[in-house]
Amino acid sequence: MRNRRNFLKQSLFGASAMTLAPHMFANPITGNPPRRFIFIHKGNGLFPSALVLPTLSEGDKAKESRKEPFEVALKSHSLPEWMSALNEHKESMTILQGLSGKMCTTGHHTWQSSLGVYKATERPSSIKWATVDFEMAKLFPSPMEHIELACFPTGGGNARGNINGIEKGFSARGPQQPNYAFGSPKVAMQELFKSVASNKNDQIKYELHRKVLEFAAQNQSGLAQNLGGVEIAKVANYASSIDAVRERDRKLEAMSDVIRKHVPKLDAKYFADDLTTIDRQIGHAEVLLATLMAGMTNVVTLTLDELGTPYTGITDLEDETVNLHDVGHGKPAGKFAALEVREKLRRHHMAVINKIVSKLKSVPEGGGTMFDNTTLLYFPDNGETHHSNGVEWPFIVLAGKNNKLNTAGKYIRLPGYGKEGHKTLGNWYTSILNAYGNPIPHYGDLDLALAADGINQSGSIKQFLS
Amino acid sequence: MFILTRFIFSLICFCTILFGAHSQSIIAAPGVTLSEVATVPANVKAVLDSNCISCHGEKKQKGKLRLDTLSALSGDARLELLGRAQEQVLFQEMPPEDEKQPGSAERKLLYDWLRSEVLRLGGSDLEDKLRYPDYGNNVDHEKLFSGQIKDKAFSPSRRWLVRPQIFEERTLDIFTVPPREMIGLRKQGFYGVTNPFILPDKAGVRDYDNTALDGGHLLLLLNNAEWISNKQLLPARIKKGEVKADQFENPKDKWNPKVIPAAFEKIVLNAAKPTDAEINDAIQAQFDCVLQRKADDKELAKYLKLTRSAIDLGGNTEGLRQMMVTVLLESEFMYRQEFGDGKPDASGRQMLTPREASYAISYALGDRRPDAKLVQAAQSGHLSTKEDYRREVLRLLDDKSYFEDKLDKSLDGGKENISIVTSHPRINRFFRDFFGYPNALKVFKDINRSDGYYGNPGRGTSGTPGKLVVEADMLVDTAIKQDKHVFENLLGTEKFFASPVENAVAKMTSLNEVYEHFKDAKWQTPPKDKKKPPSTLSAEDIAFIRKRLNYNSTERDLDIAMTHIEHFKKLGMNPNPVWAYPFGIHKLMPHVSSYNLSPPNWEYPKEQPFKIDNRKGILTHPAWLIAHSANTATDPVRRGRWVREKLLAGRVPDVPITVDAKIPDDPHKTLRERLEMVTLKEECWKCHQHMNPLGLAFEMFDDFGRYRTAESLEHPDNVIEKTKAKYGADTYKTAPVNAKGYLDGTGDPKLDGEVKDSIDMIDRLAKSKRVRQSIIRYAFRFFMGRNEILSDSQTLIDADNAYVQSEGSFNAVIVSLLTSDSFMYRKPASL
Repeated sequence: MRNRRNFLKQSLFGASAMTLAPHMFANPITGNPPRRFIFIHKGNGLFPSALVLPTLSEGDKAKESRKEPFEVALKSHSLPEWMSALNEHKESMTILQGLSGKMCTTGHHTWQSSLGVYKATERPSSIKWATVDFEMAKLFPSPMEHIELACFPTGGGNARGNINGIEKGFSARGPQQPNYAFGSPKVAMQELFKSVASNKNDQIKYELHRKVLEFAAQNQSGLAQNLGGVEIAKVANYASSIDAVRERDRKLEAMSDVIRKHVPKLDAKYFADDLTTIDRQIGHAEVLLATLMAGMTNVVTLTLDELGTPYTGITDLEDETVNLHDVGHGKPAGKFAALEVREKLRRHHMAVINKIVSKLKSVPEGGGTMFDNTTLLYFPDNGETHHSNGVEWPFIVLAGKNNKLNTAGKYIRLPGYGKEGHKTLGNWYTSILNAYGNPIPHYGDLDLALAADGINQSGSIKQFLS
Repeated sequence: MFILTRFIFSLICFCTILFGAHSQSIIAAPGVTLSEVATVPANVKAVLDSNCISCHGEKKQKGKLRLDTLSALSGDARLELLGRAQEQVLFQEMPPEDEKQPGSAERKLLYDWLRSEVLRLGGSDLEDKLRYPDYGNNVDHEKLFSGQIKDKAFSPSRRWLVRPQIFEERTLDIFTVPPREMIGLRKQGFYGVTNPFILPDKAGVRDYDNTALDGGHLLLLLNNAEWISNKQLLPARIKKGEVKADQFENPKDKWNPKVIPAAFEKIVLNAAKPTDAEINDAIQAQFDCVLQRKADDKELAKYLKLTRSAIDLGGNTEGLRQMMVTVLLESEFMYRQEFGDGKPDASGRQMLTPREASYAISYALGDRRPDAKLVQAAQSGHLSTKEDYRREVLRLLDDKSYFEDKLDKSLDGGKENISIVTSHPRINRFFRDFFGYPNALKVFKDINRSDGYYGNPGRGTSGTPGKLVVEADMLVDTAIKQDKHVFENLLGTEKFFASPVENAVAKMTSLNEVYEHFKDAKWQTPPKDKKKPPSTLSAEDIAFIRKRLNYNSTERDLDIAMTHIEHFKKLGMNPNPVWAYPFGIHKLMPHVSSYNLSPPNWEYPKEQPFKIDNRKGILTHPAWLIAHSANTATDPVRRGRWVREKLLAGRVPDVPITVDAKIPDDPHKTLRERLEMVTLKEECWKCHQHMNPLGLAFEMFDDFGRYRTAESLEHPDNVIEKTKAKYGADTYKTAPVNAKGYLDGTGDPKLDGEVKDSIDMIDRLAKSKRVRQSIIRYAFRFFMGRNEILSDSQTLIDADNAYVQSEGSFNAVIVSLLTSDSFMYRKPASL
């Protein structure tokens, strides 16, 4: 018998339908805590030289400058001063140098490139497939699937109109499907926590939303009756998708006690429309933590800044709006040279990351802490510098003890671009995906120039998985 | 009764010859799990015994396949095998041609059993797959055009998901916008609306009726509905004073509709709760805006209840808006509806309703809703006969403005504005889809290998492939406009566009005049003054150059122009009219290198299109060649497959899942030789024979689309000279190109046979009846949104005749298809 229920079971196979399939929201049968991933990226490049450990031996320094592979234990070294906020997390930390990403550089702005490993541009048609964060979200499903937060740019070639709104983000759900990101802690709070809204207006809005979906689901289900053959899919599939959104809402409602417990209790300044960039980042970090702790999602992507983000609230530059593009071109801001401004920003980023990691370490879970099951990646959206060429793509990774890559506690320098054993961003993401259950042979586009040099760039980085 | 095991063994053997490549993987060891077996009806066993077992039994194992038991086969392998066997039987690929063939009843019996087994094991329904574009050629070509099929043609009653362009138009139609403003909106789109629909990239017809709305679409539709409904109410909210007209939440999103339905405004402005009549008016208004029809009584009652309760909860404005969102989520907004109505005829067919017909015709010829005359025809009962359809189709084909639009807005970006504008973009789109040349934009190239002339698409530019695609679009547009021997022209033209500019001859004349006027004068600006040259020209001279160069030209422009002109004069050429101001000669259309023209030293033709040596038709156009190439090499297999499937209505079986096709590295061999090293093996040749001999004829072109007689053996061992240029190419040893091929499958012995290269092959293809009919089959799919079935035979024959009798008019094909029974009649799918 091919009734609607049976049909829906069979027809919910598309990637996007999967994202809304009701069964995907169920907690793992095993009862094991989920794995969580936090992707944090920044604009204007990240100088590899800034990540070099100051206490490296002369031999390792020489290797570093020649881009020759080596690794050292972080516990035996001091971190660069601007990373000092992470001193306590050295055993969970990786500084990864030597990846390249020439296949995903498009100059100043890179759109979804750094997460998708292809050249994304302003055209949605350039998005080739789901970005890696969405792939991870598929492996570890949750009611909200994936949450993206961003300090949007308002200038440059990638500007958004409303930095406090919900706008196209830097992740992609699938081919030609840019994701939408929350631009301010306020709008993120309103949307993500609307099921437990305490404000009367928000409660009414949520009720109306429920009403509309209920009506639409019934309406479309009605259309599916009396249809036969392939025609049933065309409306039944849609009706089921609406049902799946309702199911997601129901799940969130069922979790309302937990969610309510984790609603960020932020100072009013974080809910202002004219909050500084620094406060926006802190506010986003709070929202990020709340959604993870409440179990609403297992994957969050945060854009700390992009080249066109007007920076405000920087320590000692409180009265300035710093233009990152100018900083990229070496222009000073206030009394600080461009390099000093860069360092100030990185220092703040580390403080945000420390806040996230420390909080997760304080939340008990499964005999350990939430951080044990969390991996956080911090990286530039366009490689090594302002006008990036993608030969280097440094990463800072913080991963709890249950992570499946053996990179924690190390400074790792991989062979330089074009050298034997060189690895790309695609290899790196393939390693993460393979480690956590996606057997994809290779994630991302290949670098044609490396291919011409005969360098095999397909697959995972084996030494990270052993 | 037999047990299944035995017969699965037979069936695996049955298709081993074709899938020998992975035969090793399905050899099983002894040991049957009885719970996995099922009985085989005696009549099915009899068919297998008489047709299969002799070659694939216990005594003989063709293809080295032996299967005593099933236990060593995974469930997936077993299922895959049965599925493939099902295909073999359906497409009559087994038993081999030179063996005794089962009768049609026997074949049907075996097929039905295989199908039931595949479905029982959880496999996909082959008949379902047959609705997809890749399976279009499975219907027997000879039968389709034999004239023996007398079944009445129809299309199934259906919903057909709107294509991206129709979605854009439907969204624009929600608002009442003056025509001038509409032009701008069409170009920019709405800030808050994301098109949820995409079409596949593959060459061939892409807009089929078998796609269903899913969760991914819904997420975007919810966002879109929020934005649209907020905009729909904004003028009323401004009037009420809730929002200021000059204040924008989002400074990048300042567009507001000027006019909204009065029914909306009334409810927003009213302090009291609206009456039922007022709510009904608003519902009707939203139905009209979104679904372009009135709500019926049942719908009105449902929506009234919803709106009333939403208003009670959220107030007038928010309650009203929720109703508007809900209408925007109606699946009817995203689907075209074609069900037919009236008394079914003897074949159970019903004609499209006049309203459905008006949309079907309008969406066949364009992306916009029916124009006023078509609506009038539908409403006045003048859209119910073949003649009515013909009249309206001819009228709309003749109307050069209603559907006029840019062909491909995605080619424009940044400062580029290169897409052509055409009267019926949808007709051009058929040839774009069919040939697949726009896919050149998706193939990234290593710039250095091109010696630096090639630019990949990037931010604000569609790069070299964008320009080549536009020039291919121009070729297609020219053929469509001429509308004589369209297929033959597209396949066989020797004339191409390369950076065409308007008034080229006049521009060349102007530059020559400037040269003659100043050649003996001192026009050079000293380097130190280049940035700001002193005023040295007389007022007359300034007037002279401003008339011929730019309205504001100065001494500096004269310097640049004369440098440019002199370059060509020294070569004995006319100055190139594409004067890349202010960059000078070295930025002159680098993309024309793909045609083997050598900027800046090439003589610009006085007329475009113009003859380019060593090329013939769109299959030798760089855009097509790049679209059908790999990142760093040509792709003879893909090119051959395209010819087999698109021009010869042929079919190439899917790549067996166990095949990991890889061309071996050998620094001393050409790609052709390396390809042959792997594909000439018997098990590979079964499929590759259908592709390689066709595709290798294109080896006379490299993967950038350049004609060549020698192939660079791009391997580190073969480097003769390393480039010193940042984006230069290394020089490698070369080997002569062998572009010989073999054409088969035209059904015409005068055309089939060895070809010396692709030009020879194209000459023959352009003369082939089979090729003409194959293109007609694709045109059918494009306009019907589905694969043809045998009952469409008369429709195809009529379209083919229309083409022949009109001396190759594609418009005649369109008229024939859109007045066919396949287009006009619907038949419900069985429940």
